[in-house]
Formats: sequence, C-alpha cells, structure tokens
Amino acid sequence: MNKTLFKATLRANWLIGLFITLMLIMYTSIAITMFDPESADMVEGMLKMIPKGMIKAFGFSNLGTELTGYISSYLYGFIYIIFPVIYSVIVANKLIAKHVDSGSMAYLLTTPNSRIKIAITQAIYLASSIAIIFIINIVIGIILSESMFSGLLKIDKYLSLNLITYLVILAVSSIGFFFSCLFNETKYSLAFGGGVPLIFLVIKMLSELNTDLEWMRYMTLYSFINIDKILESSGYVILSSSIILVISLIFYILGIIIFNRKSLSI
Amino acid sequence: MIKVENLTQIYKSGKGIFDLNFTIKESEVFGYLGPNGSGKTTTIRNLLGFSNATRGRATINGKDCRSEAASLQNYIGYLPGEIAFFDNMSGMQFLKFMGDMRKTKDNSIRDSLIERLDLDTEGKIKKMSKGMKQKLGIITAFMHDPAVYILDEPTSGLDPFMQNIFIKMIEEEKSRGKTIMMSSHIFEEVQRTCDRAGIIKEGRIVAVEEIKALNAMKKESYIITLKDSKDISKLSNHSFDVKTLSENRVEITIGDSYKEFFQVLSSCSVINLDVNQQTLEDIFMKYYGKDGISHE
Repeated sequence: MNKTLFKATLRANWLIGLFITLMLIMYTSIAITMFDPESADMVEGMLKMIPKGMIKAFGFSNLGTELTGYISSYLYGFIYIIFPVIYSVIVANKLIAKHVDSGSMAYLLTTPNSRIKIAITQAIYLASSIAIIFIINIVIGIILSESMFSGLLKIDKYLSLNLITYLVILAVSSIGFFFSCLFNETKYSLAFGGGVPLIFLVIKMLSELNTDLEWMRYMTLYSFINIDKILESSGYVILSSSIILVISLIFYILGIIIFNRKSLSI
Repeated sequence: MIKVENLTQIYKSGKGIFDLNFTIKESEVFGYLGPNGSGKTTTIRNLLGFSNATRGRATINGKDCRSEAASLQNYIGYLPGEIAFFDNMSGMQFLKFMGDMRKTKDNSIRDSLIERLDLDTEGKIKKMSKGMKQKLGIITAFMHDPAVYILDEPTSGLDPFMQNIFIKMIEEEKSRGKTIMMSSHIFEEVQRTCDRAGIIKEGRIVAVEEIKALNAMKKESYIITLKDSKDISKLSNHSFDVKTLSENRVEITIGDSYKEFFQVLSSCSVINLDVNQQTLEDIFMKYYGKDGISHE
C-alpha cells in the first residue's frame, strides 16, 4: 500500500464517488420519508396499479408495513445494486487498465514501487471507497429512521442487509478489477468488467419475472441479496457473507497476480 | 552497467526484437539508432521491466531488469517515447507526486531544472503543448539524480534552442560519470552526444559502432550547379563519386578528400552549391544493405 498513490487515486476519482453517494442518499431519504405505517393500504393500492411482473423484476415485492422490510425491498432490490455497480465498473477500469492503455502506468512503474504494491493500493482504494459509500448511507439511513420513526428500524437486520449488499458489490468490483488487470486496453476491460455485472442483472430480473426461469437465480451474484432470508436468519448472513468474501478475494488476488506477471506495452 | 543478452521478444504480428546483444559500459553515452518501428521502444520496455522477454534477458548493474524492476528504479531516469502523465494534475502536482513516489527528499535538482528548461508548471498537464510535456518528462527523468538514464527519443517536440540545452545537460551528466542510453532516429542528435551507437533495423542489431566510425561512414554529398557543363568532366576525373543529375547539375559524394574537392571546385564556375545531408536511411542502405547484414 502506497499512500502517495492512494491520495492521487482519490484525487482522480472522488467526484464519481461523491455523485454515487449523493444519488444513494437521495433515494434513501425519499424512501424513508415516504414510509407511512398508517397508510399501508395506500401503498398496496398503488402497487396494484403497476403490473406484477414489473414490481417483481425491480424487487419491490415486499413494500409492507414494517420499516426494515420496506427499506429492504424498496432500495436493496435494485437501487443499491445498480448505482454501486456503475461506480465499481467505472472506477475498476480507471484504476489499472486506463493507466496501462494511456501509458501513465509507465510513470508508476518507474518509481521504486513493485507492481504488486501498486495493484494492492488500487485494490484497497476500490474496496474501501465502496465501503465508505455504504457507511455514509447506513449512518444517514439510521439517523433518518430514528428521527422519523423512532425504534421501528431493526438496526441489526439493516446492518446485515448492508453487509451482504456491500460484499456483493465488492465481488462485482473484484471482477471489474480482475478484467482491468487482465486487459491492456480499456475497451476490453470495460466490456467485460461492465458486461458481466450487466448480465448478472438481466439474469436476476428474468429469474424474478418468470417462475419458469427461477433456476437462473443461481447464476447471478445478486441473488445473495435475498431479503427474506437476510431478515429471517443470521446463519444465512454469515454463510453467504463468507462465500461472497471468498469470491471477491479470489478475483482481487488473481487480478494482482496477473498484473504482476504480464507483459505491458507501455 | 547495462547488459542485453540474446534478448528476444516476438509479438503476435511476428514483429519484435530478435537476439539482441550489447553492453553499455559505466559512464558511457550510448545512442540507439533505428527507423520508426525497428524495435527501439521494445528494447527499452524490456530494460525498464515492463515487458516479458520471449528469450534472453537484460540486466542493469547485474540486476535482472524484469524481476528486480522495482529496486532498479532508484537508479534509473526514464523518459518515455510517448509520454502519458496523470492528466488531471498540474505540472507541479505531478512532479511532487513523482518525488513522493520515489521518496526523494531533495528538490533542488527539480527546481533548477524547471528554471533551466523554462517550464510553467502551474498549468494542467492536459492543456500543455507537446514541447511542454516533453520538458516535464525530461525533468521527471532527471530530478532524482539517477545513475543511469534511459531516454526514448528525448528531443522530439523540443525547439532547437531547447534541444541545445538538452544536449548540454547530457554532456554534463556524462562528465559526472552517468551512464546514458538514448534512442533516436536522428543521426545528428546521436552524433553530437554519444560515444557509441547501436543500430537496430527490423528488430535486429545490425551494428554497434564507435561514433567516430559511424561518422566516417556518413558521407556528405554536395549538389553542384555549374555554369558550364564541360566542368562536369573536370570533376569526374577525380577520386570522388560523381552522379550527373541533369545537364549542368551533379551530385558529388566525398569521403575525406575535402582538399582535393575544393581545389577542383575553384577551377570550375559554380553557380550553386547545396549540401545534401545523408539520412540514417541512406547509411543503412549503403552500408548494411537491405537485409540488414553487417558490413564487416
């Protein structure tokens, strides 16, 4: 880990991080302030007007009267996936592949820092910046819920939900990072690093849309964000967190090894 | 100091570098000459440890350029041929960044170089001209006082005034005992600064020569326009190579027989005399042949 590089990476990437954080804050605030335990009927009435398939595809299936469940299905079925995924894809590509493609990697490597050190620094930046985006939103979510609906939010469940969602995004970022290390050109790094998470999303939506395609949910990382199970069982949280963490580590480490070994045309 | 042994790197296209062998001694200035696409940058990429060689290896100070790249960087000042910086930084931010990455404490060389090359470091790199970027690259390569310089086409983009300053800088570093390798496709640049030159063509070293020897090979020719076409026969009677271009114009190539040349010339009525500089290409064609076979 190199502090100088970390700071330079932050300087080059903070804006998109801020943008994504603000988008999530906006959606979180809207969702929580819109919650009304008294008028659950109204929500249900509204839902009846939208085609059932669409509600399911976007994960809004459980807009119930209970705050934690409401936040989970309103935000963590789609919003908290798509924005952090966009962030991960763009930043992962910028961290390695863009430096190699443009040639600025030459300057990083003509300092007495090994490739491994440089790649680890960039990986830490990606993983920690996503964590910070989540932490900011968790804090805002808790403050808003507590101030408006004191005691209604099950904080432990809310934290579990965020942990799993963060780890799923971490896994997506690890795939993006892996392709960023693998390819010398950003067009390939972006195509694969962005393509795989996009395919995962399409699979998730298809599997929720049609019961015949339910088996497809085993083919996408996003299925780990199984809201019912997360709210129900802490055993599920521990098991699935471990699995996703291992997946993330594998891709991050593979990326770093490949970057260290490969031939660079810079 | 720098040793290249059987270095081979073959790209998918079949191009690359093949079985390169040369050594650069300590405190020597080595020119690396070759036309565009001949493999100069590929060689340099291997010296910096960016590329994986197909075969062979390169070492600096006995350390392997690829596996010990990071520890070698303390001694190396590198100027890329195609420079890409961190565009969002200003010139000064970038220099400070590189200084911090190298943990350089003394900024005096950096600051004196900025002054000497007259570079405005406040502006964003994105907005800089080619020449300004080149200056920034030179400062980055020189500012940590490295023992070995590897410079890929260092004067490209510099105006003649700056080229002279740069050549002076090379001479000073040479007198301080630094080892310098610079690639170029311009013969004059190498001629002015280097002790020896390696010539690469289509990925193979065709010659490694003392600059003095190369100078002897590089014959200048003169295009002479004569008032009277009869004078052509006068010129043809001497030891130099005369090619008739038109009725009253001839191209004369002279080795070192300048005295004879001027004597004959004084007896002719010359209207115009042009120097026809031989390009590196000409030297290749003449002395190494199309296949790049050594003249030895």
